[in-house]
Amino acid sequence: MKSPNLSTDHKSPVPSSNFANLALSDFPKPDAPFLELRHIRKAFGKGKKQLHVMDNISLTVQEGEFVSIIGPSGSGKSTLLQMIGGVLLPDDGAIMLQGKRINGQRGRAGYMPQQPALFPWRTIEQNVVLARETAGLPQQESLELARVWLDKVSLGEFRQAYPHMLSGGMQQRVAFLRALLGPQSLLCLDEPFSALDAFTRSEMQSWLLRIWEENRRSVVFITHHIEEALLLSDTIYVLSNRPARVLERVEVPFERPRREELVDSPSFIALRRRLTELLREEVSAK
Amino acid sequence: MSIRDWWKGIWPPLGAVVLFLIFWQAATSFFHIEDWILPSPARIVSEASHSYERLIGHTWATLQLTLEGFGIGVVIGLLVAGILHVIPFLRQALYPLLILSQNIPVIALGPLLIIWFGFGILSKLIVIVLVCFFPITVAALGGLAGTDRTMLNYMQMIGASRGQIFWKLELPYSLPAVFSGLRIAATYSIMGAIIAEWISSDQGLGYYMLLQQSAFRTDRMFVAILIVIALSLVMFSLIVLLEHWCIRWQRTNHERQGGR
Ligand SMILES: Nc1ncnc2c1ncn2[C@@H]1O[C@H](COP(=O)(O)OP(=O)(O)OP(=O)(O)O)[C@@H](O)[C@H]1O
Ligand SMILES: [Mg+2]
Repeated sequence: MKSPNLSTDHKSPVPSSNFANLALSDFPKPDAPFLELRHIRKAFGKGKKQLHVMDNISLTVQEGEFVSIIGPSGSGKSTLLQMIGGVLLPDDGAIMLQGKRINGQRGRAGYMPQQPALFPWRTIEQNVVLARETAGLPQQESLELARVWLDKVSLGEFRQAYPHMLSGGMQQRVAFLRALLGPQSLLCLDEPFSALDAFTRSEMQSWLLRIWEENRRSVVFITHHIEEALLLSDTIYVLSNRPARVLERVEVPFERPRREELVDSPSFIALRRRLTELLREEVSAK
Repeated sequence: MSIRDWWKGIWPPLGAVVLFLIFWQAATSFFHIEDWILPSPARIVSEASHSYERLIGHTWATLQLTLEGFGIGVVIGLLVAGILHVIPFLRQALYPLLILSQNIPVIALGPLLIIWFGFGILSKLIVIVLVCFFPITVAALGGLAGTDRTMLNYMQMIGASRGQIFWKLELPYSLPAVFSGLRIAATYSIMGAIIAEWISSDQGLGYYMLLQQSAFRTDRMFVAILIVIALSLVMFSLIVLLEHWCIRWQRTNHERQGGR
């Protein structure tokens, strides 16, 4: 579809931080994972009002790996994505993309927020190309790509429609295409389906599963929904209460391509039960 | 909206106006009110039909002055809003002063402007610009600052530059607010033009009104007032049309709500 190194020469408005923060870990290694978070710490505010959100979080995402992050509300999952996107800076630690430190560099990851955040004055196809347009890619090519993909997800007839004419689920598909077609090869999705009703949600899960299995990209996926995480992911990180640590890293053993029926299999149910227990204990320990 | 709905909405105010005119006509003849105090509606209409040729020139002069002043006011208003928005420090420093400055009645500045800029077109334009740039600036600043946080965060996350955020997101997002400012400014600009012509002019409706006032031709003043009202409505409608054209995505929204 596109080459991942399109994003390496991307503009970086925020220069990486000063030399005092430089450590051995800041230098690229040849066999580095695609994305690596090393010992991330983050607090908001100062003095007595300081809120310690993240305590030494490390995680990795391999090339083409689907990684989910689940954790109690307020444990800093969105904050983590904001740091990968360069909008927030970690107080300590390094964010490494393809072996390079990208702390504070914006635009290295495609992004899909909880609300679709489509631009109401843009038609659907104009919305889909927004990330490419912002990166300065040629418009004609982007529009053609958008057309192909909108047809592929059977939204072709809505190309010229405005977002408000689409249902919530359709809007989320458009928002996902916008992220997928962007020049970045890493995708960050922040609870993309949580505003949808249960039925649409499970429909969207299968949809995303199908699209992703056909076009493997590195994904960081945040969710509260354990079943969703198990169905979609290769690896799940379970975060603790604030200040968040990684409670457990779970490798999801199910074969791909996966099908929805998987959720009824005994091994799926057992794993779901274990994760539910883990989270329930954590939430009640608050 | 069907014709019937439209008619339902329009007939009560229309009826009220007609009743009022009948009452006015009856009162002037019943109480023998003199024409120079309050002319009857019939008298005003007949005066209008007599003097319209002379009024065309004055109307044109006022309209031209209004459009020029409004145009400059819009450009300055939007520029100031854009600059204050992009440079938060300037906004903090100047926004309160901008609000305070609105307590200065523009008409009080008129004589001063004449000392500084003379009796020419410049003083008049400045008066109009002063009355209409403010609503535009305030509305545009509000619209720009009210940009949807999720969309803004999205743009930051994908690495959009400050300029891209402004042109692709903040500016289109603020358009409805900008247009509500423009609508206010459009009617203000007519008022500004009349005031400017009172202060210094040898043509235009404001000048004509002063002239007729000294001759106690109240009927002619009423004719001029009617034209001023009409001009105001024309300016307003032009802005509404422009708004419809610029914010098409919102119009389709209304159509949808209307149930196609
Ligand atoms: N800019 C900020 N300034 C101060 N505090 C913040 C800021 N952003 C987030 N926080 C706080 O940090 C904590 C973590 O927020 P975050 O949104 O990352 O949690 P989350 O895990 O995404 O929660 P949820 O699952 O409910 O979305 C919250 O307590 C929040 O109030
Ligand atoms: Mg969140």
